[in-house]
Amino acid sequence: MSQHSPRRRSGGRKAKRAARQQVQTEITAFIERKIPYFDYLDEESLSLIEHNADKVLEEIGIEFRDDQEALGILKDAGADVDGERVRFPSGMCRAIIQASAPAEYTQHARNPERNVIIGGDRTVLVPAYGSPFVRDLDQGRRYATIKDFENFVKLAYLAPGLHHSGGTVCEPVDLPVNKRHFDMIYSHLRYSDKPFMGSVTHPDRAQDTVDMAKQVFGDDFVEQNTVCTSLINANSPMTFDATMLGAAKVYARHNQATIISPFILAGAMSPVTLAGTVTQILAEALAGMAFIQMVRPGAPVVFGTFASAVSMQNGAPTFGTAEPSIVLYAAATLARRLGVPFRSGGGLCAAKIPDAQAAYESANTLQTAAIAGVNFMLHTAGWLEGGLSMGYEKFILDIDQAAMIKILLEGMDMSENGQAMDALRAVGPGAHFLGCEHTQANFETAFYRSIVADNNSFEQWQADGSLDAAQRANLIWKTMLNEYEEPPLEPAKHEALLDFINRRKASFPDSNY
Amino acid sequence: MSDDMYDEEDIVLSELSDEELTQQMHDDLYDGLKEEIEEGTRILLDRDWPADKVLSDALVAGMTIVGIDFRDGILFVPEVLQAANAMKGGMAILRPLLAETGAKPVGTMVIGTVKGDIHDIGKNLVTMMMEGAGFEVTDIGINNSVEAYLEALEKYEPDILGMSALLTTTMSYMKVVIDALVERQLRHKYIVMVGGAPLNEEFGEAVGADAYCRDAADASETALRLVTEKREAASG
Repeated sequence: MSQHSPRRRSGGRKAKRAARQQVQTEITAFIERKIPYFDYLDEESLSLIEHNADKVLEEIGIEFRDDQEALGILKDAGADVDGERVRFPSGMCRAIIQASAPAEYTQHARNPERNVIIGGDRTVLVPAYGSPFVRDLDQGRRYATIKDFENFVKLAYLAPGLHHSGGTVCEPVDLPVNKRHFDMIYSHLRYSDKPFMGSVTHPDRAQDTVDMAKQVFGDDFVEQNTVCTSLINANSPMTFDATMLGAAKVYARHNQATIISPFILAGAMSPVTLAGTVTQILAEALAGMAFIQMVRPGAPVVFGTFASAVSMQNGAPTFGTAEPSIVLYAAATLARRLGVPFRSGGGLCAAKIPDAQAAYESANTLQTAAIAGVNFMLHTAGWLEGGLSMGYEKFILDIDQAAMIKILLEGMDMSENGQAMDALRAVGPGAHFLGCEHTQANFETAFYRSIVADNNSFEQWQADGSLDAAQRANLIWKTMLNEYEEPPLEPAKHEALLDFINRRKASFPDSNY
Repeated sequence: MSDDMYDEEDIVLSELSDEELTQQMHDDLYDGLKEEIEEGTRILLDRDWPADKVLSDALVAGMTIVGIDFRDGILFVPEVLQAANAMKGGMAILRPLLAETGAKPVGTMVIGTVKGDIHDIGKNLVTMMMEGAGFEVTDIGINNSVEAYLEALEKYEPDILGMSALLTTTMSYMKVVIDALVERQLRHKYIVMVGGAPLNEEFGEAVGADAYCRDAADASETALRLVTEKREAASG
């Protein structure tokens, strides 16, 4: 450090402390991938799986249960409908999808800066979905309430690495089953300005989702644009049920996006071999996505994959192992070949608490999903015990990992500054780079700074209370919730939304089924 | 806060009152502005401030703030290096004046990595922090034998001997150096501080050092404390 580099006054300690302690306000709406794709399978293998999936659709067929309208739509489009079993001539589903399904679409958020593009080279990170339980260090494991739901919406809103508010971030079991969707959608619309997912547990609830979105976005805007992306699971193996089909039809008719997700616990809901599993996933996704295009050509639809392997010892789902990662890689390539957006991944684990198992299983899935090219990464944050529990501390550990995915996917800076030849020349052998001008100019943003990891010396860590990662995360989520501020929602829209909810809630009795 | 806000703010150091100027120098040290610190130091001397008062009120007080914010994770290593460099600029002006008046520096130190160990980034950081805290540090570099340490101690007569090592295979050499001091009845003359990744408190005690320091910030704090204690003991 011999050379004096011209510097300017920047306000001393007060300004620096303010800047360094400031909550990050810069919005990254989604990640733009700048690195090549990793294809796990060769051309011959991919073609074979596509061929086999066509055979499944043509010879075995898919069941569309308890929905006469759906069967009519499929028959009119040229499928062979035999009772509830629907068989598709070879190549039919692929042709229908490729004729009208968009390769990518914009999902609008109530804050336009947070609009996400789903598909192509983009990755959108989304919180975990569907847990009946929540867990934190203070209160342990318990049924989730609407208060927990609001908390996770707020935490997801505050997490710079998450681009989406998610859907059923946990199941508020304290509210009646037939009305809780109102409070869930309301939470997303009020406590966050990120895009969200709609209710899929009944066609009426899907319609309520669309109608609630209209109170905030406006009637015409919702009909002309996509404002929610909702999760339609196949009831694998090779079955779609009336609940999911009903919700899917509502969303498609309003031009809202659906994710057609085969839900696979391999060994139980698909064959125990990977190629067999991927074949079934492709067949189910093709049938579901083609159905959406029959309902409304051009409605955004996402190829989903949720794959876990079942323990052959006790039947329990396992996570973070190699086999589901291989399935994920293969499915991602197949989605790209088909030309539609892809959903999978997340911070999946079977661990009960935010321990070492949770960390390595989640890291395995998260990084595989990122490298594989997932466009819509559901379950990025909070997931514990196979999705049964949403963890407050786990959520913090996951959003920390999530924030790094952007860096991983954005590639290497090959600019002149990135090449750092000046620094290499200026420092030379035997010295250090900490003081050189290039370091001075770049250090602040050079490396990812974890919000959770402790990198201090042993003694410093001990002096700070010898806290483990979960204990540190516990402090972080509490601070975040304490400092949370609502993103402003226009009072007139807010009132219209509440008015709609109150009228609808009063129009039919509470029910728990 | 954006830099632009400060662009328009033209601070003329010579127009500031003494109190405003020392405050501004604390900010300028914090921002690592060497020329501004040199200018501020000269202005205070022109106003007939004694050199030791400039050192303690303007420079050391400012670097104490830097040390605290480094410890708390607000300031980063490259920024502390800039601050220490600015401090050195002021010290270069004060040093001859301090010598003239016979005022004692904050403290003096000889530092080097032990024989067999060429890993010196940690030692360099300690040197920077120590200089930042106002110490006069003589860095004797890497790979030092007992003879090299003894020679430097005799020549510079420092308050503190600092030794560092990164390797478990070299750290034991610290005991060889300390034993040599004991053998020559020189051990009591120096405060011995040791540091490096594979060390801990227990190791420091076992080899007979006065302190093990876990990082550069800890080293400068510990050094200040031990030198003060030793001087008080000597005068008491």
